[in-house]
Amino acid sequence: MVEFAPLDYFWTVAYLILMIGCGAVFYRLGKRSGADFFLAGRGLPWWIPGTSNFATHTATDTPMWFSGLVYSKGLYGVWYSLFAGWCAISAWVSTRIFRRSLAGTQAEWQTLRFSGLGAELLRGWMAGWQVALSMFVAGWVGIAMGNVCEYLFNWPLWYGLVIFSTLCCAYVIAAGYWGVIIADVQQGITMFIVIILVSVWAAMAVGGPTQIVEALREMGQSEMLNPFRTSGFVDGDYPLLWLITMIIVPFLGGFGMATHFDWFVEAQRIQSAKNVRDASYSIWWGTAAVLFRNAVWALAVLAIFVITRGELSAEQAQLAWFKVGFDYFPVGMVGFFFAAILAIHISSIGSILNLGSMYATRDLYHHYINPKATEKKVVWVGRLMTLVVLVGSFFFGIMIGKDIVEWLFFALWLMVAGTWLPNILQVIWWRFNAWGYLSAWIANLGVCWLVVWILPSFGIIPDFPDYIQFWLLILLVAAVYIPITFLTKPDDMDKLVKVYVQTRPIGFWGPVKREAERRGLLQARDKIVMVAEKQIKEE
Amino acid sequence: MSFIKRSWEPHEAEEWTREDWIAIVLSPLSYIFLTIGLAMSVFLLTLGFVFLILGIIMTVIMFWVIDPKIKTISTEYEKKQKQYLEDLEHIQRWEEPE
Repeated sequence: MVEFAPLDYFWTVAYLILMIGCGAVFYRLGKRSGADFFLAGRGLPWWIPGTSNFATHTATDTPMWFSGLVYSKGLYGVWYSLFAGWCAISAWVSTRIFRRSLAGTQAEWQTLRFSGLGAELLRGWMAGWQVALSMFVAGWVGIAMGNVCEYLFNWPLWYGLVIFSTLCCAYVIAAGYWGVIIADVQQGITMFIVIILVSVWAAMAVGGPTQIVEALREMGQSEMLNPFRTSGFVDGDYPLLWLITMIIVPFLGGFGMATHFDWFVEAQRIQSAKNVRDASYSIWWGTAAVLFRNAVWALAVLAIFVITRGELSAEQAQLAWFKVGFDYFPVGMVGFFFAAILAIHISSIGSILNLGSMYATRDLYHHYINPKATEKKVVWVGRLMTLVVLVGSFFFGIMIGKDIVEWLFFALWLMVAGTWLPNILQVIWWRFNAWGYLSAWIANLGVCWLVVWILPSFGIIPDFPDYIQFWLLILLVAAVYIPITFLTKPDDMDKLVKVYVQTRPIGFWGPVKREAERRGLLQARDKIVMVAEKQIKEE
Repeated sequence: MSFIKRSWEPHEAEEWTREDWIAIVLSPLSYIFLTIGLAMSVFLLTLGFVFLILGIIMTVIMFWVIDPKIKTISTEYEKKQKQYLEDLEHIQRWEEPE
């Protein structure tokens, strides 16, 4: 149990006042319109949504699962960071396309990209799914805070879950996305400084980076510093197929939209950026900061590995990074460290509450229930939905309890595995239609439970490693949506032409491009521009 | 005409070109080299510094190649944005776009 000095209490209280103050300061901006409450008026320079991306993706559970991985696998565990690598290609492809669509949410994109009943069903499906998933993620991040508070103060698990998420909800309800994004900037800077400080302190506790390397050699653990070790193609703890999957899946996923859960968070930031260039930069640099963060974290985790001689249990190893801060920071700095943990926690919770509320309000309430709602009413419903997502997160948090890592891989990796390719196809292939996409989502939801939990428990199929389950899900779900796509009609050509001209998607859009040219929407316009430019130059 | 185009007309920048593909290839490589490079560099491992420098070089080249094009796309698109936003609101309210 950690003891706080008066200065520690000061840091903690001062930080909470600063965060809740954001709600009061930006209250007026948040209430102006739905676009302000959910997208900060679409006018932010790239570094604000970029810092917010970094802050949101640094949640309370992040140092837990990352510490667990690096403590057991050494620098090989850093490859898991590349889960975020989809932003590498997305920044220059799907971010550009999505920003041009101006769709406030991924659900809204469905009614731009697809047509008819299928598009509306997809929008409703995706909005409902996203509201539920936001509750789940907020619950899972919240219960991670519950675990930390149990470790620190011997509190019951639900105290940490409920107290800090509720405090965070106060400023999200007041100022919406304005409060979230400005608080995220403060939180992002605070947490990055503290992450560096913890790593420096941890390295100093061992005697410096060179001493960590020496100590690992003496312990016969030099391989912990080798990120490239393998144990065969599919065998052992370091299979090559896992590494290949870890590189291919995230990076190629950047051609699509929603290939990862993180996309939904990023999509909101993409649309809040002031233009296409700022959207792309925010995605690239926000994720680069996430990757730098993990590299710096590895130093602290391997330092604690040396200090504890590698003897921590898996559960203790998950708290290794927290242990460094609380065990080695001087009196007075412990409170600052706890304030940084609050920053890590609150930045994620705030973003997720506002995100879930946006789907509930913009896509379910405003589009389906009350299309004529005034801006004032939209903002008020947004506030109410923020509260609904918060309460939902408490149920999920209690359900998850202590199995944080297990749930993480299932929820963020396998529950969307079968939709990975369809999420790319919706962007790169004109013929992929609403029914194909909808069937992929539904089939995946059923098949993932079968492959991961039900069939292995009855011994019908082996309990495959997660990366093999991933490829298996891709194949099984494809067997559903590919026939359905070809057995149903393509989307309405008017709609396709419109979305093509507006967003200029990459890939196989030949028939749509030719139709757009035939209608004089591309070629003729370009020719006119070229002739005009030529004339200007001649003059 | 140079291999990398640095000056774009709006209608040219709308097309997917060699410059986009260079960014698409360099971007993941930058992330990989920067991540692994930094993770090894904090332990003062020589190979880490080599990876880190390669990552930085790739990042600089990538932005040098793609920035002029994306700037042109961005500027051009902003001119049309208002109309597209109005269309979106019509879809939201189940109305016919004007």
